[in-house]
Amino acid sequence: MADQSLEVASPIPTARLPLGVAALYAAALVGLYLLPAALSDYWLRTLISVSALTVASLSVSLLFAQLGMVSLAQFGLLGVGGWFALRISHGLGVPFELALLTGGVAAALVGLVIGLPALRMRGLYLAIITLMMAGAIQVLISAFGFPDGGSGILGKSTGTRVMMARPFLAQNDEAYLRYALVIAGLCYGLVLLHVRGRPGRAWAMIRRSEVCAFAGGVNIVAYKVWAFALAGFLAGIAGGLLAGGVGQLDASAFPASQSIMLFALTIVGGAYSWIGPIVAGLLLRAFPALLNDFRVDGNIATMVFGIGLLHALITAPHGVAGQLRDLVGTVRRLLGGKRKAGP
Amino acid sequence: MIEIDDLTVQFGGVRGLSALTASLPEPVTGLVGPNGAGKTTLINVLSGFVRPTTGSVRVDGRDLKDVPIYKRAAFGIRRTFQNEQVVENLTAGENVAAVLDNVPTDGQPRRQLIETALEFAGLGTARDVPGHSLNAYQRRMLEIARATVGRPRLVMMDEPGAGLAQHEGEHLRSVIKQIDGYCGAQVLLVDHDVDLISATCTATLVLDFGSAIAYGPTQKVLADPKVRAAYLGVLEETT
Ligand SMILES: Nc1ncnc2c1ncn2[C@@H]1O[C@H](COP(=O)(O)OP(=O)(O)OP(=O)(O)O)[C@@H](O)[C@H]1O
Ligand SMILES: [Mg+2]
Repeated sequence: MADQSLEVASPIPTARLPLGVAALYAAALVGLYLLPAALSDYWLRTLISVSALTVASLSVSLLFAQLGMVSLAQFGLLGVGGWFALRISHGLGVPFELALLTGGVAAALVGLVIGLPALRMRGLYLAIITLMMAGAIQVLISAFGFPDGGSGILGKSTGTRVMMARPFLAQNDEAYLRYALVIAGLCYGLVLLHVRGRPGRAWAMIRRSEVCAFAGGVNIVAYKVWAFALAGFLAGIAGGLLAGGVGQLDASAFPASQSIMLFALTIVGGAYSWIGPIVAGLLLRAFPALLNDFRVDGNIATMVFGIGLLHALITAPHGVAGQLRDLVGTVRRLLGGKRKAGP
Repeated sequence: MIEIDDLTVQFGGVRGLSALTASLPEPVTGLVGPNGAGKTTLINVLSGFVRPTTGSVRVDGRDLKDVPIYKRAAFGIRRTFQNEQVVENLTAGENVAAVLDNVPTDGQPRRQLIETALEFAGLGTARDVPGHSLNAYQRRMLEIARATVGRPRLVMMDEPGAGLAQHEGEHLRSVIKQIDGYCGAQVLLVDHDVDLISATCTATLVLDFGSAIAYGPTQKVLADPKVRAAYLGVLEETT
């Protein structure tokens, strides 16, 4: 894939901090207090999905930006996380947080298994293998469906479907959106902690070359497996968030094609920047909703995505996030120029 | 102390090393030979990238087949590469930290170890410079910093002098001479530059077609007619 040509791109952490932090606080304030209160129910639910899919895209971008690895199974892992979160929530009535964590851990384990071929393969072969895994997950999910309050291992109810219990702190949509945004923020923190720390340095060495990593004493197997497990965990959390948001999950909503879409839009958004996954989340859920608002056929979205992907692959290897950064740079230069021209 | 016993490495039909036996006790040892003689192959066997077909190697008495490849850095076997392997999107300091993550620190503060290693390699002011902004010489030196941080016992350098300007070569020379005293590691130096070898190495091993054709004090070995025929003759032809 494009991993060689993108190698010099800086990973997530190098975003200019002071400005970034300020922007983060501003975004948090708007996102957490003003926005949820001002939105219609429809947009509340849309943005809940956006937060979940931002985390899903973060999982894809982690693997791609840190190790140059393409996983086309991450949306399937959302389904895995969602399944386990629903199962334990309905079955044991545990608090939402515990269900969410269970979903994350379950998806991390499955993600780890999906990552095993990555120890020997990369590029196209890895992409194809992971896509086959996504296909397997799709088959399992459509065969067994999602738990909805019934008994037995599968937890399928024969009568009315029961909704997943929401967090104690976030019963209504407005509060749940705030909750989902906080969880997404925590996921970003978790990734940042990795990228800035020992795993990030080890991943950078592996990306440079395997001989470089070995000579530096990096346990390549362990760090690759860990990256897949972490990415699986994030996908599982995303699935649990989605389940909590809607209350239940639809067995037909996790086809392998969604995993491809998630990967493609992560590239369009910009896998190397922390804004990229947010852009991807918005494109995946808010953009179709917007079209719907304007009574435009939602399928147009797919076409636009295709064009966006071509655009990203041909002219904007750092995606929308890269272009935003360039734009900010240009504006800054212009402002700086003006300031210098002044007194 | 490196002990090589009847070491053969076969790449399909090609012999990288052929029944090589040698004992290298000197603190700074040169490894020379014409192109394709097996110098890089020997370094690769010591780093674990290439598995011996037959024979064994020991470093400080430890048989390396018992040390898995990713544990060799922690054991103390370090190297630089013929094609430099600096990580471009980490800073110089992070490059060193990435190695220090995996090797013993002996309870010393990491930050201090990193700074000392960078200073030793003459990169004291470049700690926060990203890898992609370093020039070719700084990258070479950064590899040396990575190879000397955190208790190394053997530092192998594969043609560190290639393509350096005169004053850079002189600085490199002085750094190589100091490695043993600085961190106590034995140095194994591969280079085609005979001046660099004779200025830094007390003993030298000459390879040709994967076997040792001479070993001894550097000056004596380089004056050996057999060596001049196999190695220096080739060198004169090519330069
Ligand atoms: N991975 C490999 N696969 C196949 N053959 C190899 C491999 N590595 C080395 N060889 C062969 O083994 C022989 C020794 O190569 P080596 O790289 O050790 O030589 P060298 O002494 O380092 O030469 P140079 O001075 O050119 O760097 C050469 O004939 C080379 O073609
Ligand atoms: Mg070589």
